[in-house]
Amino acid sequence: MTTQTVPAPRPEGTAAATPLLEASGVVMRFGGLTAVNNVDLTVNTGEIVGLIGPNGAGKTTFFNCLTGLYVPTEGTVRYQGTVLPPKPHLVTSAGIARTFQNIRLFANMTVLENVLVGRHTRTKEGLLSALLRGPGYKKAEAEGREKAMELLEFIGLDHKADHLSRNLPYGEQRKLEIARAMASEPGLLLLDEPTAGMNPQETRAAEELVFAIRDKGISILVIEHDMRFIFNLCDRTAVLVQGQKIVEGDKETVQNDERVITAYLGAPLEGATDTAASTEADQ
Amino acid sequence: MHELPQQLANGLILGSLYGLIAIGYTMVYGIVQLINFAHGEIFMTGGFGALTTYLILPPGTGLWLALPLMLLGGVLISVIVAVAAERFAYRPLRGAPKLAPLITAIGLSLALQQVVEQFYPGAKSGRSFPQLPGGPYHIGSVTLQPADIFLFVAAPLCMGALAAFVGKTRTGRGMQATAQDPDTAKLMGINTDRIIVIAFALGAAFAAVAAVGWGLRYGQVSPTMGFLAGLKAFTAAVLGGIGNIYGAMLGGLVLGVAEALATAYIQEIPGMHQLGGGSWANVWAFVLLIVVLLVRPQGLLGERVADRA
Amino acid sequence: MTTTKSPALPLPLPAAKALVLAGGLATAASTFIHWTWTSEFPGDLTVDGYPGGLQILTLAAGLLIALFSLPLYGVKGTRWLTPAGPNAPVLVLGAAAAATTWFTLIAIATELGGLANLEPGGWIAGVASLLPLIGALGLPQTGPTVGLPSSGGVLAITRHYLGSFTRLVGPNPDLAPVKPLNRWVETLIIIAVAGLGLTVFTYGIVTEYGELFIGFLILTALGTWALMRAGLVSRLTALTARHRGTTTAAAFAAAAAFPFTQSDDHFASVGVNILIFATVALGLNVVVGLAGLLDLGYVAFLGVGAYAAALVSGSTSSPVGLHLPFWGAALVGMAAALVFGVVIGAPTLRLRGDYLAIVTLGFGEIFRIAVNSLDGVSGPKVTNGPNGIRNIPDLDILGFDFGQAHTFGSFTLGRFANYFLLMLLVTAFVVTVFSRANDSRIGRAWVAIREDETAAQAMGINGFKLKLLAFALGAALAGLAGTVMAHVSYSVVPDPYQFAGAVPPNSAFLVAAVVLGGMGTIAGPLLGATLLYLIPEKLVFLKEYQLLVFGIALVLLMRLRPEGLIANRRAQLEFHDKDTDTAAPAETDDAPASTDPGSTAGLTTAGA
Repeated sequence: MTTQTVPAPRPEGTAAATPLLEASGVVMRFGGLTAVNNVDLTVNTGEIVGLIGPNGAGKTTFFNCLTGLYVPTEGTVRYQGTVLPPKPHLVTSAGIARTFQNIRLFANMTVLENVLVGRHTRTKEGLLSALLRGPGYKKAEAEGREKAMELLEFIGLDHKADHLSRNLPYGEQRKLEIARAMASEPGLLLLDEPTAGMNPQETRAAEELVFAIRDKGISILVIEHDMRFIFNLCDRTAVLVQGQKIVEGDKETVQNDERVITAYLGAPLEGATDTAASTEADQ
Repeated sequence: MHELPQQLANGLILGSLYGLIAIGYTMVYGIVQLINFAHGEIFMTGGFGALTTYLILPPGTGLWLALPLMLLGGVLISVIVAVAAERFAYRPLRGAPKLAPLITAIGLSLALQQVVEQFYPGAKSGRSFPQLPGGPYHIGSVTLQPADIFLFVAAPLCMGALAAFVGKTRTGRGMQATAQDPDTAKLMGINTDRIIVIAFALGAAFAAVAAVGWGLRYGQVSPTMGFLAGLKAFTAAVLGGIGNIYGAMLGGLVLGVAEALATAYIQEIPGMHQLGGGSWANVWAFVLLIVVLLVRPQGLLGERVADRA
Repeated sequence: MTTTKSPALPLPLPAAKALVLAGGLATAASTFIHWTWTSEFPGDLTVDGYPGGLQILTLAAGLLIALFSLPLYGVKGTRWLTPAGPNAPVLVLGAAAAATTWFTLIAIATELGGLANLEPGGWIAGVASLLPLIGALGLPQTGPTVGLPSSGGVLAITRHYLGSFTRLVGPNPDLAPVKPLNRWVETLIIIAVAGLGLTVFTYGIVTEYGELFIGFLILTALGTWALMRAGLVSRLTALTARHRGTTTAAAFAAAAAFPFTQSDDHFASVGVNILIFATVALGLNVVVGLAGLLDLGYVAFLGVGAYAAALVSGSTSSPVGLHLPFWGAALVGMAAALVFGVVIGAPTLRLRGDYLAIVTLGFGEIFRIAVNSLDGVSGPKVTNGPNGIRNIPDLDILGFDFGQAHTFGSFTLGRFANYFLLMLLVTAFVVTVFSRANDSRIGRAWVAIREDETAAQAMGINGFKLKLLAFALGAALAGLAGTVMAHVSYSVVPDPYQFAGAVPPNSAFLVAAVVLGGMGTIAGPLLGATLLYLIPEKLVFLKEYQLLVFGIALVLLMRLRPEGLIANRRAQLEFHDKDTDTAAPAETDDAPASTDPGSTAGLTTAGA
């Protein structure tokens, strides 16, 4: 019930090769179905890593394993060297934040309130503090609002702080989700199809946003279907097909890999161009 | 009367009552994720429907002839009430936040109870229910009343019929599909609205059978009989695994036996002699519910359902 | 959709306005004539020159119409009465006058057995009260025009016609903010409104017979609608938002003044009971309204608190030989309820919300059974079984004996009045707790959990812990109220603690109060509890059918207005998902003598 903000465990290393997230041998089984099959993935500090694959390849399921929503049947996930706790809120507290494939904003709360909720894990004012309303409480609330507004300015939604989030246009809702995730001051941000449903201008703006986020010191792991977006953005990309990682590497490696091309298009074609950006639920 | 076989028999009879009622809860929950709070009262209206049928019949009709007619009457009333509830109270609220249908169900439950209490002649103090002639029958050390025989026959028959219906008929399979994934079921051409109505109707029908059994066994139907019985039946449904019809019956039997044994034997445990006996039976049933929810929330036959992000 | 359309009745505009004004005055005047010849109809409407009983209501309605016809005529300095235009409010007021008057006339006729019992005065009143309505129908309105529905059959068409008046009146306005007045003027306004609220509220409580109460409800409901439609309520809300502290103080003072307005203690006892149930409803509101947890056995926490306090308050029938002072008993009551809350919540809050409903229902029942059986015969002797714990001594705080009547100058405070004031402090405490918890990090987290628990968890919110917190807090508040209740009623018995019973409190009543009043708001449960307590009290013939009416009301409410009477902005949006995007802001009702700062407990307003 103190009123200090809890600082996020921000990684200190500057060397690009310091592993931040290490998923090894992750397997996720639901009854008879193996959704994720022995996937290794590492994200280093300062990196933007992409995760692509056809629908149903297990990308979102893998994300859920990284955030404690699912407990992997086998394998471990380490963040900053420590194994992740199996509860989503603890994972967020440890420093991993995420957005959702189908936008899950708090529709009936305002833009500002959504971001304030995002800050929940970095603030400590409990019930007693709220009831007593000491000077520390007021300071913390003011500070919280300030930081939230900063974030909103960063993504360009500060002029709509008091609008209900459900009234925002689609593209802005996606941005808000990102801001909300950033409010927990993560070291690693997981983006699940952030440009789904966006037009080309919005997608380009999203690219800039992701770069800006990286420049703030946050590493990023992003699931996407928009190839141009992925290859413009990512240092490395991993490809998941039917739960297995078939290749990982830079743009050339992935684009020219036959298995990737086959998985997407079914027949060898020049270059891996964008497939239909369908929004079917990803298992 | 502390012999184990007798207690077991009592428990199984009580349990089959719970199980029949629990089927209604579990079917509705499995398909529309709604706890039909009013199901206990639907059970109750079935009982009164059966009683009314009996009263309409010419006096002197042998009970073994009147019984099927009473069953029919009870089922008719309970099904009408259930289908009307679904159509006018629950269906319009299908998209609403969870709280709305729950509160509607509570209101419905209250209203039904009161309608019977206020408007059915003599209901307030309970109406006596006709009894089956004959008995008691002795099998070994166990004494059974004709009402018990009725339940021992009716419950398995109903379960069997239900199993056949759900497993073998098109509609039954449609129900399974709707329970698993309503949207896809619709896309496959299944009329999910109709399925839901059928679920309500079936649940009500079985509850009516249970109500007749209850009336035969306890000699009385009253407007409040649905409340506690409904609560316990829901416990049974959870115990067996909500959404699973076999679980409902299994849960009912387990609960019935547990209740009978607790009533008879807890007072034998040193130090607990004041915590056995009739009024505490309900407490133990409730404690059992809590324990089940703690230890195995998916119930005996239920499966863990993963949350999809 | 604010096109001015041609009036419902084709009257020339000056005639319409004249009808309104003249009709209003005529209606008021008609109350000075006698309406019936026998005083068998309560209120004594047999005297000329002295309006009595229900006539007073008609008088008030008529005067209101006359008042509001001033802005209709554009009289200088009266435009502030109807910031959103006078046509619609006048229409509603016309309906109010007509409804009240005709209700009275019909009541007279039915009860005395025939129209012959109405004197010419009554008929004059009947005609006069229709004039303003007719006139108002001749005024152009700005409500939306909606065509007959093309599908839905008879039901839809009926609904269409039933809603036609409402559509004519139109939605409550969304006013642009206006420059604040001088601070002292605004303070005076707040005080005046608080006083007015107290008067109206007291009048309602003190009604001696059912017919008057019904008439009062009709007039108040329609009158409030008129004020809302005029935009006065939203102006007032904006004003009180600027002066939170003053408003709270004024409301509190008005409520505290209530027992002083009574010459005998009877209505103070009504007042205490209302306060107790309203407070408990507010506690339930934390659980249901904020965190979205359906607790159907809430009354058990009230009972735990009551029993725990009773056991330690020196009652002769208590097996525990303690006599703690009030604060001690209160702490014991709260602590006991809190413990039970945690014990029940811990296993069940991890699961789906539906399960919680059933489990809490079960717990409620079990509580009563257990408490009934802990009488030394079927259980260890703790609570004295069906006889309960009786003869709880009156409180004596700092020398002030609550059991005795005290005289202050020309005012006498009886026993119930004493407890009323004590309970008022408790209510104020609970209101503060609710409002502060709502507008805080914890409150936001609760709403987030209610909206989307998975997303909330992804934001670092420990869903289970916070739900348990809400649950325990709600339980503790109920326990506190129970402590006072034990002292007020001298004894604690198992009977009232049921899910549904004829006598409040019971869990069904509490849930209904919260839902009817408006989940998540402060004024909502207070209003809901007040109405649900008073209506069966006043309308004695309804007492038998009380539960039936509850049940039907709950079902209808969920169909028609699930957000309740006083709509929390969020709830209105949640429930009317399919309506237009730009939702009109929820109108917050300034319930008489209750603190309202929390109904816009939206978190976007800065400050505590």
